This record gives sequence, C-alpha cells and structure tokens, in this order.
Amino acid sequence: MSEPMESLYPFLYSGGTDLDAVLTMVRQSTAGKAAEIVALRQSVLERDGARMAACAQAMAAAFDRGARLFAFGNGGSSTDAQDVAALFLNPGPLGSGEPARPLPAFALTADVAVVTALSNDIGFEVVFSRQLAASGRAGDIAFGLSTSGNSRNLIAGFQEADRRGMITVGLAGYDGGQMAELGTIDHLFVVPSTSVHRIQEAQTTVYHALWELTQGALGRRGAVPPPRSS
Amino acid sequence: MDQTVLASVSEIFARRVEPARGLAEQAEKVARACHAMATRFHGGGRLIVFGNGEAATDAQHISVEFVHPVIVGKRALPSFSLTGDVATITGIGAAAGFDEVFAHQLRHLAAPGDMALGVSPFGRCVNVLRALETAKELGLLTLALVGGDGGEIARSPSVDHVLIAPSDDPRVVKEVHVTAYHILWELVHVFFEQPGVLDPQVVA
Repeated sequence: MSEPMESLYPFLYSGGTDLDAVLTMVRQSTAGKAAEIVALRQSVLERDGARMAACAQAMAAAFDRGARLFAFGNGGSSTDAQDVAALFLNPGPLGSGEPARPLPAFALTADVAVVTALSNDIGFEVVFSRQLAASGRAGDIAFGLSTSGNSRNLIAGFQEADRRGMITVGLAGYDGGQMAELGTIDHLFVVPSTSVHRIQEAQTTVYHALWELTQGALGRRGAVPPPRSS
Repeated sequence: MDQTVLASVSEIFARRVEPARGLAEQAEKVARACHAMATRFHGGGRLIVFGNGEAATDAQHISVEFVHPVIVGKRALPSFSLTGDVATITGIGAAAGFDEVFAHQLRHLAAPGDMALGVSPFGRCVNVLRALETAKELGLLTLALVGGDGGEIARSPSVDHVLIAPSDDPRVVKEVHVTAYHILWELVHVFFEQPGVLDPQVVA
C-alpha cells in the first residue's frame, strides 16, 4: 500500500480490511470497463456504420420536408430521449465550429402532466402511443430508446408511429428483443451487449453519431433555411 | 453509400477511442471519489446532482441510477436531481437569475452530510460552479464531472473530486461522463461490500 493512500484513509486499516486489494480491484475495474466500451463501439460501427449513415440521410430528408422528431424511453433511456430532443432542438456548434441547424424535436417524457394523466386514466403502456396519436404526422420521426427492447410502452409507441406513417428509429440492446421482433422499425440499431450500462454508453454514441451525420446530410442538401418567424 | 459519408462515420467513432481510454488513466481518482461517496452514503448522506442542457439529463440519469439500480439485488441509495422540477427552475430563474437555480435549491434542500455532484461539459457553467461553492460552504462532499481543460470548476478549491473527460467535443465528453457515472455507481457498491471499509463509528 502506498503511503499517501494510507494517510488519506487511515481508518480503513482499523477494521482489518485490505484496502490495497479493494483499490486494486477498483482500478482494474475502471480500466476494464473503459476497454469494454471501446470494443463495443467498434463492433457497433462494424455492424451498423453504413445503416447509421442511411438513417441520417432519411432523417435529414424528413427534416427538410418539415418533419418533427419525437423521442421516448423509460428510466435512464428517458434521460437519453430528453438528451436527443435537446441536442436536435438546441445544439451547440459542430466540431468544425460551424453552427449546427436547430431542428424541431420533442421528448415525450418531459411533460409530467401528460405522462401522469395518461398513466392514471389509461395505463403506463400508452404514455408514448397516445402522444404520438395526438401529435405525430406522416413523415415525422419517432425515435425510441430501450436497453432491453421489450418495454411495452415503446412497442405500443412504435406500432402507433407505424400506423401513422412516421419514420421509425429504434435503439435497443441485447438481441433487440420485441423491438426487433416487430419487424416494422425502419432503422433499428441493436447494441450487442448484455450490460445495461455498456448498452446505454454505446447508444449515446449512436444517437450522437446520428445527429452529427444528420447535420452533415442537411449541409450537403443545401443552405440552412432562415429561422421561422413567430 | 457515398464513401465520404462512410469515412465520416468511422471518424466519428474513432474520435471516441482515446477519451474513453483516458478514463482508465484516472482510475485512482475514480477510486478515491467512490470511497468518499460510499462513506457519505453510509452516514445517511444523499447524492444531489445538477447540470445544464444535455448535462441536466445526466443529472437525472445519475439520480435514477442510484435510486433504482438496473442490477437486481443492489440496494437503493438516496439521490435526487435539481433539474426535474420545471416550476422550481423557472421560478428561481425568473426571481433570482439563472445562476442561482441550483445554489438556491441546495441552500434549502441539502444537509451537511450530503453530496453535491455537478456536471458541466467544459467546467464553465456559472450556476454549477456557484452550486458547488455553496455546497462546500454547507459542508457537503463536492464532486464534478467536466471535460476539455476542466475550466473554472476543475480549478475551484470548492471541489473535492474532479474527473475530466479529455476531449473538446461536448458529445464525446458526455459519453465519457456516462461511463464515468456508471462506474461511480458500481464502485460505490463495491465499497459497501467490503466489511470494515465504512466503519460507522469512524464515519460519525
């Protein structure tokens, strides 16, 4: 055990705990997880790199036609859905320093009144589908995130989006679960892992990449239109 | 598919590799932060998390991670974010200014034994820094996830533990933060599983 750590946590030795072993485990764990996510992202790139570029082209074309994006997910994935909406709607500059184009995007988890009303009156499985039924139009984008691929409210949301002729983008983990079984999601990206944490980390990369590629595709499609007047 | 587009996909992914590995180089800092957090939780402390924009979603992700672990059998630990209540945020923002939205909540919601964790992509968010300074004055353990050169937050004497994601791309910084807080959560539990590490008499 190194002297600085011992002086930092002297009481750890009073209980007979082998702090050296714990800290070694902690360091190895951190390095191991960093290596895991690097490898997982590489496999996502190899599996889905071309499909991500195609998805971004489809989203860029949709936005040029006036599409809005609706993002949804549960738990940690709800925070990703809100991250997706925030990134599309209010992006900082691109890596090049060029301004990114703000795009209309909503998170279906952000309005607590709507979420609790639907859950209380009907059931939690309709919280996304009912919002899409109310607000989604043909040509809009439904963007759902799940680690298992099995969330019932996501499945219902994708089914409603499909009925309405929306472009559907799904992020899942494991083997894609029911999101894969649906067979109707236009652009489904399955992160091949069984770790919820690593799946979420790779999914964050996938939606960041989709956003950046969408911005690139919009750039190639023509000049940024002026902001709409209010 | 246009080859230049495919090349840009590869470049986007390649940009993530070194920053992700960079986290491993901070393993010692991660270990110290986790031990300090575990000690606070053991003493009844709560983890209070905050950030702006995309980092607000990280704040909420972190609190749900601790309150409702994805791994079955891990105990729930008390945590909440300061970004979830739109009435509070807009109310404080309108009355006292946006720089106060987190500090005000901490002054009235936090106890000295709690922890304050601020997320700021480049360490320059004024309201996050102000909240960390307030937390330190109140006696909380203070932690920050930042990126780039770490900004004012990384250099602040009010911050006990800082992890810096080594990238200038805010999206890459966020991804390193997601891995970092997943590891923080997991390793806090590792410390719980070590008998004697968190002696309550010493903690008190």
